[in-house]
Amino acid sequence: MTHAAVFDQVVKTYPTGLLGMGAGVPALRGVTLSIPAGGVFGLLGPNRAGKTTLVKLLLSLCAPTSGTISRLGAPLSDRRTLGRIGYMHENHAFPRYLSAAELLTFYGGLSGLRTDSLSTKVDQLLTRVGLADRRSEPIARFSKGMVQRLGLAQALINDPELLILDEPTEGLDLAGRQLLRQIVRELKAAKKTVLLVSHVLPEVEELCDSLAVLVAGKIVYTGPMATLIGTAEPSGKRLEVALKPLYEKEGVA
Amino acid sequence: MNSLPIAIRTVRWMVRDTFRQSLSSKLFWVMLGMTAFCTIFCLGMTVETPGERERHPAEIRDYTRPGLDPKAVEEGIPVAGGRMSIGFGLFVFEVPKFKADAVKFFQLRLAGILADTAGVLMALLWTGAFLPTFLEPQAVTVLLAKPAARWSLLIGKYLGVVLFVTLHATLFVAGTWTAIGISTGIWDATYWYAVPLLVINFAIFYAFSAFLAVWTRSAIVAVFGTLLFWVMCWGMNFAHHHMVGLQVPGIAQSSSFLIEAGYWALPKPLDMSGIFFDAMQASTHIDPIQELEAVKEKGKFYPEMSVLTSLVFAAGILGIAVYEFRKTDY
Repeated sequence: MTHAAVFDQVVKTYPTGLLGMGAGVPALRGVTLSIPAGGVFGLLGPNRAGKTTLVKLLLSLCAPTSGTISRLGAPLSDRRTLGRIGYMHENHAFPRYLSAAELLTFYGGLSGLRTDSLSTKVDQLLTRVGLADRRSEPIARFSKGMVQRLGLAQALINDPELLILDEPTEGLDLAGRQLLRQIVRELKAAKKTVLLVSHVLPEVEELCDSLAVLVAGKIVYTGPMATLIGTAEPSGKRLEVALKPLYEKEGVA
Repeated sequence: MNSLPIAIRTVRWMVRDTFRQSLSSKLFWVMLGMTAFCTIFCLGMTVETPGERERHPAEIRDYTRPGLDPKAVEEGIPVAGGRMSIGFGLFVFEVPKFKADAVKFFQLRLAGILADTAGVLMALLWTGAFLPTFLEPQAVTVLLAKPAARWSLLIGKYLGVVLFVTLHATLFVAGTWTAIGISTGIWDATYWYAVPLLVINFAIFYAFSAFLAVWTRSAIVAVFGTLLFWVMCWGMNFAHHHMVGLQVPGIAQSSSFLIEAGYWALPKPLDMSGIFFDAMQASTHIDPIQELEAVKEKGKFYPEMSVLTSLVFAAGILGIAVYEFRKTDY
Protein backbone atom coordinates (compact mmCIF):
# COMPACT_ATOMS: atom_id res chain seq x y z
CA MET A 1 0.00 0.00 0.00
CA THR A 2 1.64 3.21 -1.18
CA HIS A 3 -1.13 5.56 -0.16
CA ALA A 4 -2.91 5.88 3.16
CA ALA A 5 -5.78 7.70 1.47
CA VAL A 6 -6.75 8.69 -2.06
CA PHE A 7 -9.34 11.31 -3.01
CA ASP A 8 -10.47 11.37 -6.62
CA GLN A 9 -12.51 14.33 -7.86
CA VAL A 10 -14.30 14.60 -4.55
CA VAL A 11 -17.09 17.12 -4.24
CA LYS A 12 -18.94 17.76 -1.02
CA THR A 13 -21.90 20.11 -0.85
CA TYR A 14 -23.80 20.38 2.42
CA PRO A 15 -27.54 20.41 1.85
CA THR A 16 -29.53 23.45 2.93
CA GLY A 17 -33.18 24.39 3.09
CA LEU A 18 -36.23 22.32 3.85
CA LEU A 19 -35.53 18.62 3.16
CA GLY A 20 -32.20 19.61 1.60
CA MET A 21 -33.90 21.24 -1.38
CA GLY A 22 -31.81 24.44 -1.15
CA ALA A 23 -28.80 25.30 -3.30
CA GLY A 24 -26.42 23.81 -0.72
CA VAL A 25 -23.12 25.02 0.67
CA PRO A 26 -20.09 23.79 -1.26
CA ALA A 27 -17.25 22.65 1.01
CA LEU A 28 -15.03 20.70 -1.39
CA ARG A 29 -14.93 21.38 -5.14
CA GLY A 30 -13.36 18.46 -6.97
CA VAL A 31 -10.50 17.53 -4.66
CA THR A 32 -7.97 15.05 -6.01
CA LEU A 33 -5.34 14.15 -3.48
CA SER A 34 -3.14 11.21 -2.49
CA ILE A 35 -1.80 10.94 1.03
CA PRO A 36 1.34 8.81 0.97
CA ALA A 37 1.65 5.98 3.47
CA GLY A 38 4.38 6.44 6.09
CA GLY A 39 5.43 9.91 7.18
CA VAL A 40 3.67 13.04 8.24
CA PHE A 41 1.35 14.73 5.77
CA GLY A 42 0.09 18.22 6.45
CA LEU A 43 -3.24 19.64 5.39
CA LEU A 44 -3.01 23.37 5.55
CA GLY A 45 -5.51 26.04 4.84
CA PRO A 46 -7.36 29.01 6.29
CA ASN A 47 -10.58 28.69 8.26
CA ARG A 48 -13.54 27.40 6.23
CA ALA A 49 -11.22 26.04 3.54
CA GLY A 50 -12.75 22.55 3.79
CA LYS A 51 -10.02 20.84 5.84
CA THR A 52 -12.35 19.37 8.45
CA THR A 53 -14.82 18.29 5.76
CA LEU A 54 -12.02 16.39 4.04
CA VAL A 55 -11.19 14.64 7.31
CA LYS A 56 -14.85 13.87 7.98
CA LEU A 57 -15.18 12.30 4.55
CA LEU A 58 -12.12 10.18 5.21
CA LEU A 59 -13.66 8.99 8.50
CA SER A 60 -17.12 8.37 7.00
CA LEU A 61 -18.63 11.04 9.23
CA CYS A 62 -20.26 12.40 6.11
CA ALA A 63 -20.67 11.14 2.58
CA PRO A 64 -19.22 12.73 -0.57
CA THR A 65 -21.64 14.34 -3.01
CA SER A 66 -19.57 12.89 -5.85
CA GLY A 67 -16.14 11.39 -6.43
CA THR A 68 -14.46 8.42 -4.81
CA ILE A 69 -12.30 7.99 -1.73
CA SER A 70 -10.22 5.04 -0.62
CA ARG A 71 -8.86 4.58 2.87
CA LEU A 72 -5.94 2.28 3.71
CA GLY A 73 -6.42 0.59 0.37
CA ALA A 74 -10.13 -0.09 0.78
CA PRO A 75 -13.29 1.79 -0.21
CA LEU A 76 -15.11 3.90 2.38
CA SER A 77 -17.85 1.30 2.63
CA ASP A 78 -15.41 -1.00 4.42
CA ARG A 79 -15.77 0.30 7.97
CA ARG A 80 -13.28 -2.23 9.31
CA THR A 81 -10.47 0.05 8.10
CA LEU A 82 -11.62 2.58 10.72
CA GLY A 83 -10.25 0.15 13.31
CA ARG A 84 -6.79 0.96 11.95
CA ILE A 85 -7.24 4.72 12.21
CA GLY A 86 -6.89 7.03 15.19
CA TYR A 87 -8.64 10.39 15.26
CA MET A 88 -8.06 13.34 17.51
CA HIS A 89 -10.48 16.21 17.17
CA GLU A 90 -9.69 19.76 18.28
CA ASN A 91 -12.76 20.31 20.41
CA HIS A 92 -14.36 17.00 21.22
CA ALA A 93 -16.80 16.75 24.13
CA PHE A 94 -16.05 13.45 25.84
CA PRO A 95 -18.67 12.03 28.22
CA ARG A 96 -18.04 13.96 31.41
CA TYR A 97 -19.33 11.11 33.57
CA LEU A 98 -16.47 8.80 32.63
CA SER A 99 -13.05 8.74 34.23
CA ALA A 100 -9.95 8.89 32.04
CA ALA A 101 -9.41 5.13 32.31
CA GLU A 102 -13.08 4.36 31.68
CA LEU A 103 -13.08 6.54 28.59
CA LEU A 104 -10.05 4.81 27.08
CA THR A 105 -11.52 1.39 27.90
CA PHE A 106 -14.85 2.36 26.30
CA TYR A 107 -13.29 3.78 23.13
CA GLY A 108 -10.84 0.89 22.94
CA GLY A 109 -13.72 -1.55 23.19
CA LEU A 110 -15.55 0.20 20.36
CA SER A 111 -12.34 0.05 18.30
CA GLY A 112 -12.55 -3.72 18.53
CA LEU A 113 -9.86 -4.31 21.17
CA ARG A 114 -10.29 -7.19 23.57
CA THR A 115 -11.10 -6.30 27.16
CA ASP A 116 -8.29 -8.40 28.62
CA SER A 117 -5.62 -6.50 26.66
CA LEU A 118 -7.21 -3.11 27.22
CA SER A 119 -6.24 -2.63 30.85
CA THR A 120 -2.49 -2.69 30.19
CA LYS A 121 -2.87 -0.53 27.11
CA VAL A 122 -4.90 2.05 29.02
CA ASP A 123 -2.29 2.29 31.78
CA GLN A 124 0.50 2.66 29.23
CA LEU A 125 -1.26 5.43 27.34
CA LEU A 126 -2.28 7.37 30.43
CA THR A 127 1.35 7.28 31.56
CA ARG A 128 2.46 8.33 28.06
CA VAL A 129 0.24 11.44 28.05
CA GLY A 130 0.96 12.33 31.67
CA LEU A 131 -2.44 11.47 33.14
CA ALA A 132 -1.55 8.29 35.06
CA ASP A 133 -2.19 9.95 38.42
CA ARG A 134 -5.64 11.14 37.26
CA ARG A 135 -6.80 7.83 35.81
CA SER A 136 -9.86 7.46 38.08
CA GLU A 137 -10.87 11.10 38.09
CA PRO A 138 -14.02 12.14 36.16
CA ILE A 139 -13.33 14.05 32.96
CA ALA A 140 -15.64 16.78 34.24
CA ARG A 141 -12.78 17.90 36.48
CA PHE A 142 -10.20 18.06 33.67
CA SER A 143 -8.83 21.26 32.15
CA LYS A 144 -9.01 21.73 28.38
CA GLY A 145 -5.37 20.79 28.02
CA MET A 146 -5.90 17.57 29.96
CA VAL A 147 -8.90 16.69 27.80
CA GLN A 148 -6.72 17.24 24.72
CA ARG A 149 -4.09 14.89 26.15
CA LEU A 150 -6.81 12.34 26.79
CA GLY A 151 -8.05 12.86 23.24
CA LEU A 152 -4.57 12.05 22.00
CA ALA A 153 -4.47 8.91 24.15
CA GLN A 154 -7.84 7.70 22.80
CA ALA A 155 -6.61 8.29 19.24
CA LEU A 156 -3.67 5.99 19.96
CA ILE A 157 -5.64 3.27 21.78
CA ASN A 158 -5.82 0.98 18.73
CA ASP A 159 -2.17 1.49 17.72
CA PRO A 160 -3.31 3.12 14.45
CA GLU A 161 -1.67 2.86 11.05
CA LEU A 162 -3.09 6.26 10.19
CA LEU A 163 -3.40 8.94 12.85
CA ILE A 164 -5.51 11.98 12.01
CA LEU A 165 -4.87 15.05 14.11
CA ASP A 166 -7.36 17.85 13.49
CA GLU A 167 -5.97 21.11 14.93
CA PRO A 168 -4.36 19.07 17.72
CA THR A 169 -2.53 21.85 19.55
CA GLU A 170 -5.65 23.90 20.32
CA GLY A 171 -5.81 24.20 24.09
CA LEU A 172 -2.53 22.41 24.71
CA ASP A 173 0.11 24.02 26.90
CA LEU A 174 3.78 24.08 25.94
CA ALA A 175 4.50 20.71 27.53
CA GLY A 176 1.48 19.24 25.81
CA ARG A 177 2.66 20.53 22.43
CA GLN A 178 6.09 19.06 22.99
CA LEU A 179 4.53 15.73 23.91
CA LEU A 180 2.43 15.78 20.76
CA ARG A 181 5.45 16.53 18.57
CA GLN A 182 7.38 13.75 20.26
CA ILE A 183 4.58 11.24 19.61
CA VAL A 184 4.28 12.31 15.96
CA ARG A 185 8.03 11.82 15.49
CA GLU A 186 7.83 8.38 17.10
CA LEU A 187 5.01 7.37 14.77
CA LYS A 188 6.96 8.65 11.80
CA ALA A 189 9.96 6.59 12.87
CA ALA A 190 7.67 3.57 13.13
CA LYS A 191 6.61 4.13 9.47
CA LYS A 192 3.07 5.06 10.48
CA THR A 193 1.11 7.75 8.65
CA VAL A 194 0.08 10.96 10.36
CA LEU A 195 -2.33 13.42 8.77
CA LEU A 196 -1.88 16.74 10.49
CA VAL A 197 -4.63 19.27 9.84
CA SER A 198 -3.75 22.77 10.86
CA HIS A 199 -3.80 26.43 10.04
CA VAL A 200 -0.67 27.03 12.11
CA LEU A 201 2.17 27.28 9.60
CA PRO A 202 5.18 26.71 11.90
CA GLU A 203 3.58 23.50 13.21
CA VAL A 204 3.17 22.08 9.72
CA GLU A 205 6.58 23.29 8.65
CA GLU A 206 8.25 21.63 11.60
CA LEU A 207 6.58 18.22 11.46
CA CYS A 208 5.44 17.45 7.93
CA ASP A 209 7.30 15.75 5.10
CA SER A 210 4.74 16.78 2.51
CA LEU A 211 1.54 18.75 2.50
CA ALA A 212 -1.50 19.89 0.62
CA VAL A 213 -2.84 23.40 0.77
CA LEU A 214 -6.60 23.67 0.63
CA VAL A 215 -8.23 27.00 -0.11
CA ALA A 216 -11.96 27.53 -0.61
CA GLY A 217 -12.57 23.82 -1.21
CA LYS A 218 -9.78 23.35 -3.77
CA ILE A 219 -6.27 21.98 -3.52
CA VAL A 220 -3.92 24.78 -4.56
CA TYR A 221 -0.69 23.02 -3.77
CA THR A 222 0.37 19.48 -3.03
CA GLY A 223 3.88 18.13 -2.79
CA PRO A 224 6.93 17.82 -0.56
CA MET A 225 7.44 20.42 2.11
CA ALA A 226 11.00 21.07 0.92
CA THR A 227 9.80 21.95 -2.59
CA LEU A 228 7.30 24.44 -1.27
CA ILE A 229 9.90 26.05 0.95
CA GLY A 230 12.25 26.04 -2.04
CA THR A 231 9.79 28.11 -4.06
CA ALA A 232 10.19 30.90 -1.56
CA GLU A 233 13.15 33.14 -1.23
CA PRO A 234 16.15 31.17 0.02
CA SER A 235 17.99 31.61 3.30
CA GLY A 236 15.65 31.88 6.21
CA LYS A 237 12.42 32.91 4.51
CA ARG A 238 9.43 31.31 6.11
CA LEU A 239 6.76 29.11 4.61
CA GLU A 240 4.22 31.94 4.86
CA VAL A 241 6.09 33.72 2.10
CA ALA A 242 5.60 30.75 -0.19
CA LEU A 243 1.93 30.31 0.66
CA LYS A 244 0.90 33.93 0.47
CA PRO A 245 0.64 34.05 -3.34
CA LEU A 246 -1.37 30.83 -3.36
CA TYR A 247 -3.87 32.19 -0.85
CA GLU A 248 -4.14 35.50 -2.67
CA LYS A 249 -4.68 33.74 -5.97
CA GLU A 250 -7.81 32.13 -4.51
CA GLY A 251 -8.99 35.39 -3.05
CA VAL A 252 -8.63 34.35 0.57
CA ALA A 253 -7.61 36.91 3.08
CA MET B 1 -13.24 -9.94 11.26
CA ASN B 2 -16.96 -10.70 11.16
CA SER B 3 -19.24 -7.68 11.42
CA LEU B 4 -21.93 -9.35 13.59
CA PRO B 5 -19.69 -9.92 16.64
CA ILE B 6 -18.52 -6.30 16.28
CA ALA B 7 -22.14 -5.13 16.33
CA ILE B 8 -22.97 -7.29 19.35
CA ARG B 9 -19.88 -6.03 21.16
CA THR B 10 -20.82 -2.44 20.30
CA VAL B 11 -24.34 -2.91 21.64
CA ARG B 12 -22.87 -4.32 24.85
CA TRP B 13 -20.53 -1.36 25.24
CA MET B 14 -23.34 1.10 24.61
CA VAL B 15 -25.55 -0.59 27.21
CA ARG B 16 -22.73 -0.34 29.74
CA ASP B 17 -22.21 3.31 28.84
CA THR B 18 -25.90 4.08 29.30
CA PHE B 19 -25.87 2.60 32.80
CA ARG B 20 -22.73 4.60 33.57
CA GLN B 21 -24.45 7.74 32.25
CA SER B 22 -27.50 7.10 34.42
CA LEU B 23 -25.33 6.67 37.50
CA SER B 24 -23.65 10.00 36.90
CA SER B 25 -26.92 11.81 36.24
CA LYS B 26 -28.16 10.63 39.67
CA LEU B 27 -31.22 9.22 37.91
CA PHE B 28 -30.31 5.70 38.94
CA TRP B 29 -30.22 6.72 42.60
CA VAL B 30 -33.39 8.80 42.41
CA MET B 31 -35.29 5.83 40.98
CA LEU B 32 -33.71 3.47 43.47
CA GLY B 33 -34.64 5.87 46.26
CA MET B 34 -38.25 5.91 45.12
CA THR B 35 -38.29 2.13 45.05
CA ALA B 36 -36.81 1.97 48.53
CA PHE B 37 -39.33 4.52 49.79
CA CYS B 38 -42.30 2.60 48.37
CA THR B 39 -40.90 -0.71 49.64
CA ILE B 40 -40.59 0.66 53.17
CA PHE B 41 -44.15 1.98 52.95
CA CYS B 42 -45.38 -1.45 51.86
CA LEU B 43 -43.35 -3.16 54.56
CA GLY B 44 -45.33 -1.19 57.11
CA MET B 45 -48.65 -2.34 55.68
CA THR B 46 -51.36 -3.93 57.77
CA VAL B 47 -54.84 -5.03 56.75
CA GLU B 48 -57.59 -5.85 59.19
CA THR B 49 -60.88 -6.98 57.67
CA PRO B 50 -64.04 -8.61 58.96
CA GLY B 51 -64.12 -12.39 58.99
CA GLU B 52 -64.61 -14.53 55.92
CA ARG B 53 -68.04 -14.37 54.35
CA GLU B 54 -69.54 -14.69 50.91
CA ARG B 55 -68.58 -11.95 48.50
CA HIS B 56 -71.38 -9.51 47.80
CA PRO B 57 -71.60 -8.17 44.22
CA ALA B 58 -71.94 -4.63 45.44
CA GLU B 59 -68.76 -4.59 47.51
CA ILE B 60 -66.21 -5.58 44.94
CA ARG B 61 -66.03 -2.49 42.82
CA ASP B 62 -63.80 0.47 43.32
CA TYR B 63 -63.14 1.83 46.80
CA THR B 64 -66.47 2.70 48.38
CA ARG B 65 -66.88 4.97 51.33
CA PRO B 66 -69.28 3.90 54.09
CA GLY B 67 -72.89 4.60 53.35
CA LEU B 68 -72.43 5.14 49.64
CA ASP B 69 -73.67 1.76 48.59
CA PRO B 70 -77.28 1.56 49.75
CA LYS B 71 -77.78 -1.84 48.16
CA ALA B 72 -75.02 -3.43 50.19
CA VAL B 73 -76.17 -1.72 53.38
CA GLU B 74 -79.77 -2.78 52.68
CA GLU B 75 -78.68 -6.39 52.41
CA GLY B 76 -76.64 -6.27 55.58
CA ILE B 77 -73.20 -6.28 54.01
CA PRO B 78 -70.69 -3.91 55.54
CA VAL B 79 -69.46 -1.53 52.84
CA ALA B 80 -66.45 -0.63 54.86
CA GLY B 81 -65.47 -2.32 58.04
CA GLY B 82 -61.93 -3.21 57.28
CA ARG B 83 -58.87 -1.06 57.83
CA MET B 84 -55.69 -0.82 55.85
CA SER B 85 -52.66 1.13 56.93
CA ILE B 86 -49.43 1.72 55.04
CA GLY B 87 -46.17 3.34 56.04
CA PHE B 88 -46.34 1.99 59.60
CA GLY B 89 -49.66 3.69 60.29
CA LEU B 90 -48.88 6.94 58.49
CA PHE B 91 -51.82 6.52 56.11
CA VAL B 92 -54.98 4.66 57.12
CA PHE B 93 -57.84 3.73 54.78
CA GLU B 94 -61.14 2.05 55.35
CA VAL B 95 -61.54 -0.95 53.09
CA PRO B 96 -64.76 -2.71 52.24
CA LYS B 97 -63.08 -5.90 51.10
CA PHE B 98 -61.57 -9.11 52.30
CA LYS B 99 -57.91 -9.02 53.14
CA ALA B 100 -56.80 -10.56 49.80
CA ASP B 101 -59.11 -8.24 47.89
CA ALA B 102 -57.85 -5.20 49.75
CA VAL B 103 -54.24 -6.12 49.02
CA LYS B 104 -55.07 -6.84 45.39
CA PHE B 105 -56.83 -3.51 45.13
CA PHE B 106 -53.75 -1.76 46.54
CA GLN B 107 -51.42 -3.66 44.21
CA LEU B 108 -53.59 -2.74 41.24
CA ARG B 109 -53.28 0.90 42.15
CA LEU B 110 -49.53 0.63 42.64
CA ALA B 111 -48.98 -1.35 39.44
CA GLY B 112 -51.34 0.93 37.59
CA ILE B 113 -49.27 3.93 38.62
CA LEU B 114 -46.00 2.21 37.79
CA ALA B 115 -46.84 0.34 34.61
CA ASP B 116 -49.59 2.41 33.17
CA THR B 117 -49.80 6.11 32.43
CA ALA B 118 -47.71 7.68 35.19
CA GLY B 119 -44.87 5.14 35.10
CA VAL B 120 -44.46 5.25 31.34
CA LEU B 121 -44.67 9.02 31.14
CA MET B 122 -42.24 9.48 34.04
CA ALA B 123 -39.75 7.06 32.49
CA LEU B 124 -40.04 8.87 29.14
CA LEU B 125 -39.51 12.21 30.83
CA TRP B 126 -36.49 11.06 32.83
CA THR B 127 -34.69 9.24 30.07
CA GLY B 128 -35.68 11.56 27.22
CA ALA B 129 -32.41 13.51 27.20
CA PHE B 130 -30.11 10.45 27.02
CA LEU B 131 -30.17 10.08 23.24
CA PRO B 132 -30.13 13.76 22.19
CA THR B 133 -27.11 14.33 24.48
CA PHE B 134 -25.38 11.33 22.97
CA LEU B 135 -26.13 12.47 19.41
CA GLU B 136 -24.70 15.99 19.74
CA PRO B 137 -22.02 16.36 17.02
CA GLN B 138 -19.32 17.35 19.49
CA ALA B 139 -19.99 14.25 21.56
CA VAL B 140 -20.48 11.60 18.93
CA THR B 141 -18.00 12.28 16.10
CA VAL B 142 -15.12 10.32 17.64
CA LEU B 143 -17.47 7.38 18.30
CA LEU B 144 -18.70 7.48 14.70
CA ALA B 145 -15.09 7.32 13.53
CA LYS B 146 -14.77 3.89 15.15
CA PRO B 147 -15.36 0.72 13.12
CA ALA B 148 -18.69 0.05 14.86
CA ALA B 149 -21.70 0.42 12.55
CA ARG B 150 -23.85 3.44 13.24
CA TRP B 151 -26.99 1.33 13.64
CA SER B 152 -25.34 -0.65 16.44
CA LEU B 153 -24.46 2.55 18.31
CA LEU B 154 -28.04 3.79 18.16
CA ILE B 155 -29.66 0.45 18.89
CA GLY B 156 -27.16 -0.11 21.71
CA LYS B 157 -28.10 3.19 23.31
CA TYR B 158 -31.82 2.48 22.83
CA LEU B 159 -31.50 -0.98 24.38
CA GLY B 160 -29.40 0.45 27.19
CA VAL B 161 -32.19 2.85 28.16
CA VAL B 162 -34.88 0.13 27.85
CA LEU B 163 -32.81 -2.23 30.01
CA PHE B 164 -32.24 0.54 32.52
CA VAL B 165 -36.00 1.04 32.83
CA THR B 166 -36.51 -2.75 32.97
CA LEU B 167 -34.07 -3.02 35.85
CA HIS B 168 -35.83 -0.32 37.83
CA ALA B 169 -39.30 -1.69 37.10
CA THR B 170 -38.14 -5.13 38.25
CA LEU B 171 -36.58 -3.72 41.41
CA PHE B 172 -39.75 -1.75 42.16
CA VAL B 173 -42.08 -4.70 41.68
CA ALA B 174 -39.75 -7.11 43.49
CA GLY B 175 -39.34 -4.73 46.42
CA THR B 176 -42.98 -3.81 46.89
CA TRP B 177 -44.25 -7.36 46.17
CA THR B 178 -41.89 -8.84 48.76
CA ALA B 179 -42.73 -6.14 51.29
CA ILE B 180 -46.48 -6.62 50.82
CA GLY B 181 -46.03 -10.39 51.05
CA ILE B 182 -44.03 -10.14 54.27
CA SER B 183 -46.37 -7.68 55.93
CA THR B 184 -49.70 -9.23 54.88
CA GLY B 185 -48.90 -12.84 54.00
CA ILE B 186 -50.48 -12.42 50.55
CA TRP B 187 -48.26 -13.26 47.61
CA ASP B 188 -50.15 -12.45 44.43
CA ALA B 189 -47.91 -13.32 41.47
CA THR B 190 -50.10 -11.49 38.92
CA TYR B 191 -48.61 -8.26 40.27
CA TRP B 192 -45.46 -9.15 38.29
CA TYR B 193 -47.32 -8.51 35.02
CA ALA B 194 -46.57 -4.85 35.70
CA VAL B 195 -42.94 -5.37 34.61
CA PRO B 196 -43.51 -6.58 31.04
CA LEU B 197 -46.36 -4.13 30.58
CA LEU B 198 -44.21 -1.15 31.55
CA VAL B 199 -41.25 -2.33 29.51
CA ILE B 200 -43.27 -2.99 26.34
CA ASN B 201 -45.19 0.26 26.73
CA PHE B 202 -41.99 2.20 27.36
CA ALA B 203 -40.02 0.52 24.56
CA ILE B 204 -42.74 1.41 22.03
CA PHE B 205 -42.82 5.09 22.94
CA TYR B 206 -39.08 5.35 23.47
CA ALA B 207 -38.63 4.23 19.86
CA PHE B 208 -40.55 7.33 18.85
CA SER B 209 -38.40 9.39 21.22
CA ALA B 210 -35.29 7.94 19.52
CA PHE B 211 -36.65 8.97 16.14
CA LEU B 212 -37.22 12.55 17.35
CA ALA B 213 -33.77 12.61 18.95
CA VAL B 214 -32.07 11.56 15.71
CA TRP B 215 -34.17 13.88 13.62
CA THR B 216 -33.84 17.03 15.75
CA ARG B 217 -31.01 16.28 18.25
CA SER B 218 -33.07 18.30 20.73
CA ALA B 219 -33.84 16.97 24.21
CA ILE B 220 -36.85 19.26 24.53
CA VAL B 221 -38.38 18.10 21.26
CA ALA B 222 -37.64 14.45 22.09
CA VAL B 223 -39.21 14.64 25.55
CA PHE B 224 -42.24 16.79 24.93
CA GLY B 225 -42.80 15.49 21.40
CA THR B 226 -43.01 11.96 22.79
CA LEU B 227 -45.38 12.96 25.58
CA LEU B 228 -47.58 14.71 23.04
CA PHE B 229 -47.43 11.65 20.82
CA TRP B 230 -48.53 9.46 23.75
CA VAL B 231 -51.54 11.72 24.30
CA MET B 232 -52.36 11.54 20.59
CA CYS B 233 -52.14 7.74 20.57
CA TRP B 234 -54.27 7.44 23.69
CA GLY B 235 -56.82 9.77 22.12
CA MET B 236 -56.87 7.78 18.88
CA ASN B 237 -57.21 4.52 20.82
CA PHE B 238 -60.07 5.94 22.89
CA ALA B 239 -61.82 7.49 19.87
CA HIS B 240 -61.67 4.16 18.03
CA HIS B 241 -63.22 2.22 20.89
CA HIS B 242 -65.81 4.93 21.42
CA MET B 243 -66.76 4.74 17.75
CA VAL B 244 -66.73 0.94 17.49
CA GLY B 245 -67.95 0.00 20.95
CA LEU B 246 -70.68 2.57 21.48
CA GLN B 247 -71.63 2.87 17.79
CA VAL B 248 -71.86 6.66 17.75
CA PRO B 249 -74.26 7.72 15.01
CA GLY B 250 -73.51 10.39 12.41
CA ILE B 251 -69.80 9.77 11.91
CA ALA B 252 -68.74 10.43 8.33
CA GLN B 253 -67.34 7.45 6.47
CA SER B 254 -64.05 9.25 5.84
CA SER B 255 -63.65 10.05 9.57
CA SER B 256 -64.49 6.50 10.45
CA PHE B 257 -61.85 5.24 8.01
CA LEU B 258 -59.23 7.66 9.36
CA ILE B 259 -59.89 6.64 12.96
CA GLU B 260 -59.73 2.96 12.05
CA ALA B 261 -56.50 3.45 10.09
CA GLY B 262 -54.99 5.60 12.84
CA TYR B 263 -55.89 3.04 15.47
CA TRP B 264 -54.16 0.19 13.67
CA ALA B 265 -51.14 2.24 12.59
CA LEU B 266 -50.32 3.84 15.96
CA PRO B 267 -49.38 2.36 19.35
CA LYS B 268 -52.34 1.59 21.59
CA PRO B 269 -51.73 2.62 25.20
CA LEU B 270 -55.35 2.16 26.22
CA ASP B 271 -55.39 -1.42 24.91
CA MET B 272 -52.15 -2.13 26.76
CA SER B 273 -53.83 -1.02 29.99
CA GLY B 274 -56.80 -3.25 29.22
CA ILE B 275 -54.57 -6.25 28.58
CA PHE B 276 -52.69 -5.63 31.81
CA PHE B 277 -55.80 -5.31 33.94
CA ASP B 278 -57.26 -8.43 32.33
CA ALA B 279 -54.06 -10.32 33.15
CA MET B 280 -54.33 -9.11 36.75
CA GLN B 281 -58.02 -10.06 36.85
CA ALA B 282 -58.81 -6.54 37.89
CA SER B 283 -62.36 -6.27 36.63
CA THR B 284 -63.82 -7.25 39.99
CA HIS B 285 -61.80 -4.55 41.75
CA ILE B 286 -61.66 -1.55 39.45
CA ASP B 287 -64.32 -0.15 37.16
CA PRO B 288 -63.17 -0.76 33.60
CA ILE B 289 -63.18 1.93 30.94
CA GLN B 290 -66.63 1.84 29.42
CA GLU B 291 -65.42 2.09 25.79
CA LEU B 292 -62.95 -0.76 26.21
CA GLU B 293 -65.61 -2.99 27.77
CA ALA B 294 -68.03 -2.19 24.96
CA VAL B 295 -65.47 -3.21 22.32
CA LYS B 296 -64.78 -6.43 24.22
CA GLU B 297 -68.47 -7.23 24.45
CA LYS B 298 -68.85 -6.79 20.72
CA GLY B 299 -65.97 -9.20 20.15
CA LYS B 300 -63.93 -6.51 18.42
CA PHE B 301 -61.02 -6.36 20.82
CA TYR B 302 -57.97 -8.25 19.56
CA PRO B 303 -55.28 -8.05 22.25
CA GLU B 304 -52.63 -10.03 20.35
CA MET B 305 -53.06 -7.90 17.23
CA SER B 306 -53.06 -4.78 19.35
CA VAL B 307 -49.70 -5.61 20.93
CA LEU B 308 -48.27 -6.87 17.66
CA THR B 309 -49.20 -3.77 15.65
CA SER B 310 -47.87 -1.53 18.42
CA LEU B 311 -44.56 -3.41 18.31
CA VAL B 312 -44.52 -3.21 14.52
CA PHE B 313 -44.92 0.55 14.82
CA ALA B 314 -42.00 0.68 17.28
CA ALA B 315 -39.80 -1.43 15.00
CA GLY B 316 -40.75 0.71 12.01
CA ILE B 317 -40.08 4.04 13.66
CA LEU B 318 -36.80 2.73 15.09
CA GLY B 319 -35.87 1.57 11.58
CA ILE B 320 -36.54 5.07 10.26
CA ALA B 321 -34.40 6.51 13.07
CA VAL B 322 -31.56 4.15 12.17
CA TYR B 323 -31.87 5.04 8.47
CA GLU B 324 -31.82 8.75 9.29
CA PHE B 325 -28.83 8.32 11.62
CA ARG B 326 -26.90 6.33 8.99
CA LYS B 327 -27.26 9.01 6.35
CA THR B 328 -26.77 12.01 8.62
CA ASP B 329 -23.70 14.14 7.90
CA TYR B 330 -21.65 14.95 10.98
